[in-house]
Amino acid sequence: MTPSAFHLVWLVPALPLAGAAVNLFAGKKLGKLAGWLASALLAAALAISVAILSGMLGLAAGDRLFVQHLFDWISAGSFQVGADLRIDPLSVTMILVVTGVGTLIHVYAIGYMEHDPRFGRFFAYLNLFAFFMLMLVLAQNYLLLYLGWEGVGLCSYLLIGFWFERKSAADAAKKAFITTRIGDTAMMVGLALIVVKFGTLDFSRVLVSRGGSPGYYPQIGPVVSHGAVTAIALLLFAGAVGKSAQVPLHVWLPDAMEGPTPVSALIHAATMVTAGVYLVVRSHVLFEASGTALTVVLVIGLITAIYAATAALAQDDIKRVLAYSTTSQLGYMFVAAGMRAYAAAMFMLVAHAFYKALLFLSAGSVIHGAHEEQDMKQMGGLRSPMPLTATVMTIGAVSLAGIFPLAGFFAKDTILEIASTSGRTSVYLLGTFGALLSAVYIGRLVFLTFFGEARSEKAERANESPAVMTAPLVVLAIGAVAGGVLATGIEGRLPGFLEPVVGVFREGGAGLAKGALIAIALGVSVLGLAVTWFLYGSGKVDWLALRVRLSPLHRFLERAWYVDDAYGAWLGTPGKAAAAFAAYVLDARVIDGFVNGVGIATNALAAAGRRIQTGFVRNYALAFLVGAVGILLYVGLKI
Amino acid sequence: MRTPIAYFLVTSGLLFAIGTVGVLIRKNALLIFMSIELQLNAVNLSLIAFSRMHGSLNGQVLAFFSMVVAAAEVVVGLAIIVSVYRRTGSVSVDDVRELRG
Amino acid sequence: MPLDNVVFWVFAPIAVASAIAMLVQRNAVHAALLLIVNFFCIAVFYLLLGAPFLFAVQVIVYAGAIMVLFLFVIMLLGVDRGDTLRERLVGQRPAAIGLGLALALEVFFAVRAGVGFAAKAPVGFEKVNAGGNAQALARVLFRDYFFPFEATSVLLIVAAIAAMVLAQRKARAITQAGAEAAGRGEVA
Repeated sequence: MTPSAFHLVWLVPALPLAGAAVNLFAGKKLGKLAGWLASALLAAALAISVAILSGMLGLAAGDRLFVQHLFDWISAGSFQVGADLRIDPLSVTMILVVTGVGTLIHVYAIGYMEHDPRFGRFFAYLNLFAFFMLMLVLAQNYLLLYLGWEGVGLCSYLLIGFWFERKSAADAAKKAFITTRIGDTAMMVGLALIVVKFGTLDFSRVLVSRGGSPGYYPQIGPVVSHGAVTAIALLLFAGAVGKSAQVPLHVWLPDAMEGPTPVSALIHAATMVTAGVYLVVRSHVLFEASGTALTVVLVIGLITAIYAATAALAQDDIKRVLAYSTTSQLGYMFVAAGMRAYAAAMFMLVAHAFYKALLFLSAGSVIHGAHEEQDMKQMGGLRSPMPLTATVMTIGAVSLAGIFPLAGFFAKDTILEIASTSGRTSVYLLGTFGALLSAVYIGRLVFLTFFGEARSEKAERANESPAVMTAPLVVLAIGAVAGGVLATGIEGRLPGFLEPVVGVFREGGAGLAKGALIAIALGVSVLGLAVTWFLYGSGKVDWLALRVRLSPLHRFLERAWYVDDAYGAWLGTPGKAAAAFAAYVLDARVIDGFVNGVGIATNALAAAGRRIQTGFVRNYALAFLVGAVGILLYVGLKI
Repeated sequence: MRTPIAYFLVTSGLLFAIGTVGVLIRKNALLIFMSIELQLNAVNLSLIAFSRMHGSLNGQVLAFFSMVVAAAEVVVGLAIIVSVYRRTGSVSVDDVRELRG
Repeated sequence: MPLDNVVFWVFAPIAVASAIAMLVQRNAVHAALLLIVNFFCIAVFYLLLGAPFLFAVQVIVYAGAIMVLFLFVIMLLGVDRGDTLRERLVGQRPAAIGLGLALALEVFFAVRAGVGFAAKAPVGFEKVNAGGNAQALARVLFRDYFFPFEATSVLLIVAAIAAMVLAQRKARAITQAGAEAAGRGEVA
């Protein structure tokens, strides 16, 4: 017996789509109402999602799968693609995150974007984004998923470049779009390969487990060679690398901070960037069938986690710290997925959505309150004018740093614990080092922003943000605190809920004891925060002078290991040169030369030919006669 | 009749060639026109000669039609010459050469 | 020498000579008169070839009506406008004469090959012309060629109207515009 709420699932994406349509065409007329409309529609989608969840919880674990067929999308011979929405524990988790965090961010944006002249359009884009994101996670086949995948990319582009009057914003939007496109193209090739190998894109026939997890994935299916599965998995993962800003396609995310802060929170922290993680978790049977692909996921995730954390250490822009932090945290999720701990990855995803959205929105509140100041060097002492923001942001920071009993602690600790118990000591050590770095950069952010003296005139005049902005912050803070109840450990609620989809994770017995692991994790976090307190909060160290002493290292980290510069020099410059060659030499000379050459030749021919046209009728008549005599001669000689 | 038909045909051809040369070397539109008439008559002659040769009246009927059409053509052609003369003040075909490359 | 042969050999040189004379005649009126002579000669050939009806038509319509029309137009446009015999087009005259000769030669050889100079016309054309040439022609015309005959009547009416429209003196403004257009064409 299917719960009746399941049949309403089409409304979940449809409501924000309707909001987008209304706001796109009537956003100007609606004025302030546009934001409330967008928020209300997404809240309604959230309500339906909650209803679906409660309906699902009433079912036995094996029956929690429902596919709603909306219409046939593509029907070409044996190749069929339907517009089908899939409800299972994984997609329900995702739609709850998207609609839940999304609604809060929508409400927050009403305050944040208050004075923007394109208020209505902003909410149209936000709603459109929500639609595509929900399509992405609800899709029952890869093509529909890809539709959402590209759709969120488009919205990301539109929203990063929302203030397109600024050249940096327009450039960042282009960069994000082009960089993710590299991954998307690989992913498209992967989809094509799936079609070739499986003959379909439908999850129910592509995602077939071999042994392993029972779940909703049937055991039988087309036999596909190991190499093909590896290729498919790696191509899909390339898409995930682009979307989730993993090394080496991570460069767009820090620049994406040019967008309005609610956008950074919604798209570039809580939802869109996690689509890559979702994709890997959703397609885990392909990755497991390959094995190699899982190792790649693990390695890429680990590199990104450490690398981005080091870069976050040296950023002065409050949002760029959070951007690198996001990249780093996404790396942890991929590490979890690479260790087959999909539930842990998903738990990290949910927890991260809460505390990172909280951090971003708080940062937005700080920027808003401090008169559009984003440079942490110019802040300081904002604790007293903005007590509420300071409190909730500190909660978010502590959660990220991994202090018990906040959500971030459980999320990170679970992953590290799995790394240790499954015998991956190097992963465990590097992950712990990354956790230390996380504590340091987030502690630095909090101390520089809220403690000490105000270091600029703007910071002195700072004031608290309106309630429409702080209320969502409080809700998110509660989530960041209480998120741990979802999963305390591997046997927690979320893993149990997801079990039919991702299977049971069998913990190994290697490594340190559980208690020791928790103690180390906590110790590392506390150590990190203590170090930053000593450097930035105690007032005993002149951190600006220290920075000058460590100038080369600082530059190295601030420029994120010069990866961007290297791309610019090794890819950008030759790329531009190639484009210039194509545009100014190949096109202008060769192709235009050919086209113009045809024209010039025709002209020359015509100039020669026009001389025949003398205008003297008698010349023409003579030509007649030549022809007549000639034909007669020909006929006569032939006979 | 003792005269071979071929004589008439050769005469016809000769007259046609003279008419052709006339069209080509004369500049006065009226004279060109007269040369064309000569060509038409040359052709009529051969039509009638062939009619005689084949013992059929069809050739004569065709010559008859040719004359009727020639009459119509002359009427229109002369009208054109008159209006060209009014436009340009000349009956020389060399003066009417706006349409050229 | 049979009579028809005599007649042919008298009139054929006259026909060719008058045609050539017309060709080199400066004066248009003289040329027209020479053409009338030529047409008479051709009419005589028609008689020889057993087409007395067309002989009459040739004399009345061609030598009479059409050539009178020519003379009338020549007078209308001024008789003194003789052709200057100077040729502006380089090579036009020798090319024309050469090709004309070639054409005549081709016809000659074609006739020799196709008909032959020995071939005489078959006897018994009187049977074809039974009851008189005009009557015989009428029978063919109104029996076998009735529709084309009616069509030519339409053609004649159209030609008459067309001549009136073309030769009509146009309104001044239109002539002006035409002259300007011609002027522009000249410049371009």
